[in-house]
Amino acid sequence: MKPAYSHILCIAITAVGLALITFLYWSRPRTFAEVGTKAQVAAGIYEIDKAAFASGLDAFHREDYEGARIAFNRADPERHDASTQYYIAYSYYRQGWGRLSNDDKLFAPGLEAVNRVIALDPNFRSNDPDLKMQAPSELKTELEEGLKITPSDFNPLKLTRERK
Amino acid sequence: MSQKTLQTKPRPADDLEVIDAEIAVSEDKDLQGSTIYHPTSTSYILLPLIFLAVTFLGGLRFAEADNAFLFIKPALICLVFASVILVLYIRAHLIDIGGWFSHSSTGVQNAANAAILLTLFTASVQLFNSLIPEQGLPMWVVGFCFIWTLWNNLFSEFDTKRLLKSLAALFGMAFVVKYLVLANLTAPTGDGWLQRIFNNPGREAFTWLLDLPRYSAATGYAQFFTLALYLIGLYLTPRSLTK
Repeated sequence: MKPAYSHILCIAITAVGLALITFLYWSRPRTFAEVGTKAQVAAGIYEIDKAAFASGLDAFHREDYEGARIAFNRADPERHDASTQYYIAYSYYRQGWGRLSNDDKLFAPGLEAVNRVIALDPNFRSNDPDLKMQAPSELKTELEEGLKITPSDFNPLKLTRERK
Repeated sequence: MSQKTLQTKPRPADDLEVIDAEIAVSEDKDLQGSTIYHPTSTSYILLPLIFLAVTFLGGLRFAEADNAFLFIKPALICLVFASVILVLYIRAHLIDIGGWFSHSSTGVQNAANAAILLTLFTASVQLFNSLIPEQGLPMWVVGFCFIWTLWNNLFSEFDTKRLLKSLAALFGMAFVVKYLVLANLTAPTGDGWLQRIFNNPGREAFTWLLDLPRYSAATGYAQFFTLALYLIGLYLTPRSLTK
């Protein structure tokens, strides 16, 4: 090999190698499969698994919220799709909602999921007629109120409220 | 041809053969048609690959539960130590800066030499990231030992051989402390904290007191190869690339 070629190759190896290592340390994939999906996110070509999403939606409408979340997480492993994350947040809300008291262990990850939706797409609105709260801000308020203990929690009229 | 020539006493005719041999080495193929690797090719291709491999592996750990990858970013002190160690390499003439960068060399060659030094720096950063414990009292103790040794070395008169011996001993000891001693003091993850205390009271106490992270055994093996690769890379690093 001509010396000039080896010099150019050396610079190319260094640049590509350092870029790849920086990407890996920045994105922190946990498995070889995650390396691929994180690369898709970085390249802007990431797409959710539509079949898994449809399966999750089906489970959601059947009120099998745990099954729905498993399917939604499979559909969007990188948590990068606002619509999927909204359904995940909503599934936590519906499963954790109670007429007397809410389940904080389910509302807390629901709040995290809805915050992810707002971060991904601040103007997101769901067009699913089954969801009574179609904006993430409404769902976020509902989840935050559910996590707090306020005097209104002891209002007996709360027993008449409906799950949204 | 060349071996026979080198073994005999020098005569005018043999000198000519030696010159022939040197010309043959600078060609791309030998008489059998197999590729001959030039010293420059080794330096410009093998060295960046070795140091990039060290850069990649140095911060890699494996989770205890599922062997998942954990990429640990280097702490600021690792960058400081790596800078000090590069100064040491230059002071001990392991790297002759005048022989790496020269006005007589082309811009591309100087840039390629700078790229190799950059990979050496990143590999050094990640080697310290690999050898210094991540947190707790062990990090302070091992970190202090590194500071003490490197600071003393900085003002000592060194030759290349002595520096390499000193660094091999330093890195070897740090590896033993982190991946043999501390790793064996770390309690494995159990079902509950009470069960863990009953199963391994001593190790659980050390894990809690020394704030030891729990990694899988594969981490030690990966870091052993990281250290070995770094030392091989250092051994292959020429003093000069332009002269």
